[in-house]
Formats: sequence, C-alpha cells, structure tokens
Amino acid sequence: MGVAGRDRSAGSGRVPGRALGMLVTSAAFAALVAYPLARLTGTLGDLGPEAITRALAGAGGRAVLTSIGLGVVVAVLVVVIGTTTALIGERASSRGRWLVRAGMVGPLFVPPFVAALGWAAAYGPRGLTDRWLGISLPGTYGLPGVITVLTVEAVPLAYLIVAAALAGRAEPDLERAARASGATSLDALRTVTLPLLRRPILGSGVLAFIMTLNAFGVPAVLGIPGGVSTITTRLYQDLAFSADPASFDRAVVLALILVAIAFVTVTASDRLLGGHSSPRTAVTSSGPATPGRRSTVAVAAVMVGVIATAAVPFVALILVALTRAVGLPPTPENWTLANFAEVLDPRILGALARSVGLALAAATIVTVLGGIVVAVGRRAGRVLGGVASIGFAVPGSTLALAVLIGYGGALRDTLLIILIVYLGKFWALGHRPIAGSVDRLPNDLLRAARASGARPRDVFRSIVLPLLRPAIIGAWLIVFLFGLHEVTMSSLLYGPGTDTLAVVTLNVQQLGDPTITAALAVALGLVVGVGAIPVLLVRRAIDRPPGRE
Amino acid sequence: MAGPTPVVDARGLTIAHTRTPVVHEFDLSVGPAETVALLGPSGSGKSSLLAAVAGFVRPIAGELRIGGRLVDGPGVAVPPEDRSVGVVFQNDALWPHLNVLETVIYPIRRRGIGRANAEREAREVLERLGIAHLASRRPAQLSGGEQQRTGLARALARDAVVYLLDEPTAHLDTALKATWQQELADQVRRLGAAVIFATHDVAEALSIADRVAIVRDGRRIQFGTPLEVYERPVDAWSARLTGAASVVSATTDGVLAAGGPAQVVVRPDWAGLDGDLPGRVIAAWFRGSHTDVELDTPFGSVVIRTLGAPTVAVGDVVTWHLRQSWPLRPTPGPIGTMNQYYG
Repeated sequence: MGVAGRDRSAGSGRVPGRALGMLVTSAAFAALVAYPLARLTGTLGDLGPEAITRALAGAGGRAVLTSIGLGVVVAVLVVVIGTTTALIGERASSRGRWLVRAGMVGPLFVPPFVAALGWAAAYGPRGLTDRWLGISLPGTYGLPGVITVLTVEAVPLAYLIVAAALAGRAEPDLERAARASGATSLDALRTVTLPLLRRPILGSGVLAFIMTLNAFGVPAVLGIPGGVSTITTRLYQDLAFSADPASFDRAVVLALILVAIAFVTVTASDRLLGGHSSPRTAVTSSGPATPGRRSTVAVAAVMVGVIATAAVPFVALILVALTRAVGLPPTPENWTLANFAEVLDPRILGALARSVGLALAAATIVTVLGGIVVAVGRRAGRVLGGVASIGFAVPGSTLALAVLIGYGGALRDTLLIILIVYLGKFWALGHRPIAGSVDRLPNDLLRAARASGARPRDVFRSIVLPLLRPAIIGAWLIVFLFGLHEVTMSSLLYGPGTDTLAVVTLNVQQLGDPTITAALAVALGLVVGVGAIPVLLVRRAIDRPPGRE
Repeated sequence: MAGPTPVVDARGLTIAHTRTPVVHEFDLSVGPAETVALLGPSGSGKSSLLAAVAGFVRPIAGELRIGGRLVDGPGVAVPPEDRSVGVVFQNDALWPHLNVLETVIYPIRRRGIGRANAEREAREVLERLGIAHLASRRPAQLSGGEQQRTGLARALARDAVVYLLDEPTAHLDTALKATWQQELADQVRRLGAAVIFATHDVAEALSIADRVAIVRDGRRIQFGTPLEVYERPVDAWSARLTGAASVVSATTDGVLAAGGPAQVVVRPDWAGLDGDLPGRVIAAWFRGSHTDVELDTPFGSVVIRTLGAPTVAVGDVVTWHLRQSWPLRPTPGPIGTMNQYYG
C-alpha cells in the first residue's frame, strides 16, 4: 500500500498498488474529462472558424460581454465586502468573531440557485416586502438582482480566504509594530495590513470572477426572466429550447469561450501573484488587540447584512411556500400545506429519488477515485491531484456539453450521462480532503508502527485508515451535497424521465409558478441542509491534524 | 523614590484578558536612562505589562504615565502611536513586504520627517547596528541575527523616551544569544533612554538591568538592584528564580541548625569545601569551568560550587564551610512548588 509502504527507510519492497492506482486514474481521466473535451474541441474544428464569428454576432456576443462585465462588477464588490467583513470579524471580540464566522459560513450551504429564488421571494415583485410594504427592489429580475445574489453567494468565500490569511499571520504584532512606530490605526491598515493581504484579496477577486462566469443557477432564475443572458444561460437556452442547428453550433463556441476565459484569467492571475508560495511568517501572535465599541457596531452591521441577504430570503421562501395563492399576503390565515402536498406528486418524488441516487453514486465513486491517492503515495498523489482538478476547473456548462457530445450518441437521456459529468466535475472535491490528510499524516506514526512489527498491509489497516477516516467521510459528504443541488450540468443533460429535483424546480420557476417553486426550493434547501449537518461535524475532525485528538 | 520624574510610572496597573486578570495592581517606576528587567517565568504577566505600557492593551485599573504625561487612567487612553515608545517584539514582527531600509524609515517618516532626511537617518541607524549592507533585503532573506538587528533598528529609529523589549533573546540558540545579549546591552547603554525588558533568563536580567522587578502570577514580588535580588531574595521561590539556591534549616538568628525553626538560602558560591560543617557527597556535576557538588548535610541538601574538575567522589564524607547566607521569610504557598533549580 502506497502510504504505508512509501517510506523506503522503513524497509518496504515493491508497491503493486501504485501501478494499478495510476492505471485506474489515467483511464478515469481519459473517459471522464479528456475524451469529452477532445470531442468538444473537435466539433469546433469541424464547424470551422467562421462558426465563431457567426456565434458571436448578436445574442452570443452580447452574452459573452454580459458574463465578463458581470464577473468584473461582482469581483470588485466581493473583494471590498469580503475583505471588510474579514477585518471586522477577525478584530472583534471572540463572541463577535464567532458571530461573523457563523454568519459567513451558513450561507455557503444554501445552494446559489435556491438563494436566487429566495431573493426574488423576499424582495422581488409580489415578494414578501412587496406584499407587506408595497416595496420591491427594482431590477430583481435583471442585472441588479443577478449581481446582488452572485455577490452574496461569493462574499463568504472571499471572507474565508482573507480571514484565514489574517489569522495565519503575525497580525497583531505586525500591526502593533506599526502603531509603536507612530502609525495611526488607519495608517497601519493602509501600510501594513492591506499590503500583506494583497495576495488573498486578489485571489478572492479572481475566484469571484470565475464563479460568476461559471454561475448558472442565479442568472437562470433572475436573469432569463429579465431578458439578461450570460454565456451559461445562453448556452442552456440554445441547447434546451432550440432545435436549430445554428443554436447548437453557437453553444459549442460559447462553451469553448467560457473555458478559454477561465483559463486566461487563472493563468494571468497566477503570473501576477507570482505562483502560490506566499512568505509566511511563522510567528505566534500575542492575542488580539482589545476590541472597542466601534468593533461592536461593525459586527452588528455585518449581522444585519447577513440577515437581510441570507436569512430573510430563506424565510421568504418558506412563507411563500406556505401561502395559499399568489397575491395573498403571507399571513397565518392564508397558510396551507397544499403547496407541499404538490411536492409529493409522484413525478417530483421521482426527481427527488434521482437527485439522491445520483448524489449517492457520485459521492461513492468519487471517494473511491480520491482514495486512490492513498495507494499511489504522496509524490504520485500530487500529480493525481493536478489531473483531478482539471475537471473541476472546466466550467460545468462546458464539461456538460463536452460529455453530451462525447457520449450523447449512446447515453442521451440516461442517468448515466449525468453521473459521468458529475464524476468528472466532482473528482477533485473527493481527492482534496483525502490527499490533504495523507499529506499531513506524520511519517513517524507509520515508522513507529513498522518498528513495532507491523507489515505494510497491517500499518494501512491499523494506522492509516483510522487516521484518514474523517477525511474520507468528509469527501463523501461534500460530493453528496454538491450532487444534491447540482443544476448547471444536469439542466443541460436531462431527458424525459431523468430530471432531478433541482432541474424540476428550475423548470417550474421558468413556467412562472412562484408558490410551487418556493415549495420545491424549500424542499431542496431542507434536503441540502440536512445533508450539511454531518459535513459541519466532520469538517471539524478534518481540520484537526491526523493523529492528534 | 526621590530624584527626577520617572520616565515610566505605573501605579496599581491591573490588566485583564477576557475578564481574567493577568496583572494585579502593579507599581513600576523607571528613571531616565534606567534599564529595568521584568524577570519571571513564562505566563507570569510580563508581556501583558509591556503591551499595556506600549498601549496595545488597555489596563482595567490603575494609572500609567510616560514622560510625566498620563497615558492610561480614568477616561484617558492614549493610542500607541502617540506614546513615544519603541518596541522590540519577541519574534521581531518584521513586515514581510518591506525591506530593511523601508522598515527603518517607517517610524522616522511617522515623526513627520521628509523622505530624504528619513532615509539618511535610517541609514545611520543601520550603520550603527552594522547592517547597512542589508538595506535592500526583505525579512525572508535575513538570518535570525539579522532579523533581530532589524527589529532593534526599527525601534531605535522611533527615537522614543522608553524602549520595550519583549523576551529579546528567548528564541535564539545559545551561541547567538550570548553575543546578542552583549550587543543589546551596549546599544541600550548608548541610548541613554529608559528601557524595560521582559525576560525569564536570570543571567540576562542580572547582567543588563539596573534594577530587576520579579514578577510572579502578575504581581511584583520584589524590585531592586541585581545584587539585591540575588543576595536578598524575598522568599525561596524568588531565590530559585534568581539563580541556583539551596534552602537549609537554621535558627531564627540564621545560624545553621538541624531541624531548626527557620530557613536560610545558600547560593553555591556562598559555601566551600573544607571547614567545620559535616556532609556527604551525593552528587557531583562537572560543568567545565566549575563543578557543582551536592552534599547531604544535617541541615538539608546543599550545593557548593568548586572551581575546575571534581575533587571529590559520590559517597565521600567531607567537611565544608559557609561564607554567607540569607534568612528567608516563609513562602506563601507550599515550599518547593518549583523544583530545586541550578543555574
């Protein structure tokens, strides 16, 4: 076994697991990612270069510009809000920090697409505020709404990145050194804190841009009804609602443009940020500075923001789902469970079963694929990690179209084709926690087992596996969760009788039934929420280095 | 204390971390050009005290004056940048994005000095510390010793009335520590400013400081010259904190007596072999320049320092004499909470 036997000094012999592991991995990569992408590129080759000009004339070109513009605006907003929130949270008292962290992490478990539905239910026309106060936000269905919800969805990630960088540095001491050198707190922020956060700040901006570019659920829910098309929603409309071959050609071009923009952005930002290594000053901090009243006000402001953007929309969804008919105020006398009864329709229950089944299958297979890293050892595992992350880096819409072209002939309208694209996309999600855990496995623990007389196989069973268990369970749960609410890829690949709960919800919403949509979204949110609880529990175990309880 | 206004004057300073007090009603006064060591084990509150003087944490009670000006007190909390303190951090706290010259220019610029003059002044400081050739290096490209010097240069460039040094040698290896202690002492003397440094290293405290404050559980239990704290410890605990010490039984007049009602401290250099007192060698530790011999005596076990290699062997019955001793007040709390400790 790779990890147990990897250490030559411990006297292991040949490693049969490594060759087999690499073989399985290569085959999986070829089948799940390389072949479909090659077919997609090949299709463009067949169409010829004039197909690109044709596709970019009119709606296609507009979609590309919309996506890029949207990405830039959202990235700027996310960087400003995320950094500010991180600075507020990390400087607050321990209770304030806990509040900000919880407020930021919570929304991560609301699927973007459900968040968009919630936003419309809360602030859109005929939404909660409209019914009660007669106020609705202008442009909920349109660019303002899309921008707001995408920003709300990406801010937690920017927060996590910047907050981690803040916590990992000798922040108090470096800032204190500036203060002791005569800098005011604002001066210290400008000359020390922000320059040191340059990398995480720019990194989170790039991440927000890519997320916005690849986003489908939010622009589908809020953009399509408002006549706004991004690359992903244009692609969806071209594939799902048009039999025109020109539409298909345009989808192929858009899919490749999407991956090209992502690739160029990531490469350019890597160049700009000078690779991934960041000089870390391994310094223990001497505790946070004493937070003042201003900090309390700032924490309160963050919490108001979280409630308005994450909690209210979800409550609004529930209220709308409980209300008897469109147009009635969501007050108790108008409440009914009839809308939820509609969810129990066999067709929708079938979709729910397919969602769960696909998520279960994807999670299990991805965990096994990710677990191969244990068999191949650390060094080969790193190569494997690079291979696995390619599928994750390719935008979901592109990968789905590639799989459709690659396997559509034989597998069109089957659950298997959806499973294939899930595996290609989520492979990295299964690989990372397990590989991370393997990387942190202290060598001496394994040597100690060998020195105690254990054979490699025995070391694997008695030491490696128990220490990796939280990571393995965590990997499985994360993929399961992503599989449950996936809509970008399944909406392009589903056929008669293979639609998932998320796809059904999207279709109902596009038909314009807000109450049933809300009931479906609440059901989806609850399913994901229940799935998220063990993730939060296991997450804690993963964060702990293996071998230490 | 009579004389000129103290540069730092703390009265009844109480500091708490998340409501748990870590420093209790601490009094400290540091005169002009005086160097004071805060000596105590880790966790005794030394760093919190320095952080309060610097203005990083706000005391919950008491008053603090720097240069005669009230900086902490009822309704007063002067921020660090307005206190005229120079701080050398335990782990240097060098800014990774600034090179050595920029780091030293930073505090000078904040005194309102123009770019060109600030650079000239910074180069002078670097020159003085022998690191002018490192001006364009970033902290990651510096050795541990060079980082220490840069950290000190930044503090010196502040041109403060008091310098605070938090465990300035704690994380250095033994060889570097000795040279850095000496250099630090030289620089401190040359400054002519007040200095407070926290340390758990007795030798460092006794050799560099003019006065030593012994800190235990956030309280000042003794404040005196290095000789005073060494020769006249207030209890067994501080006797052992300030160097190797044997505690033996004596009469209330301080005469050694088996099973006597009182106790005295005997430093290893306060006794010698040969004399009229009986003993049996139970251990002999050769330490290069000297040998510590532990004797079992009727008054308790005593460690005696002799020059050079051991002249006696374990089990030998010997005689010894006492040159000096110091009577102890009973220690609050159980005696020997800290194991006998040989420096």
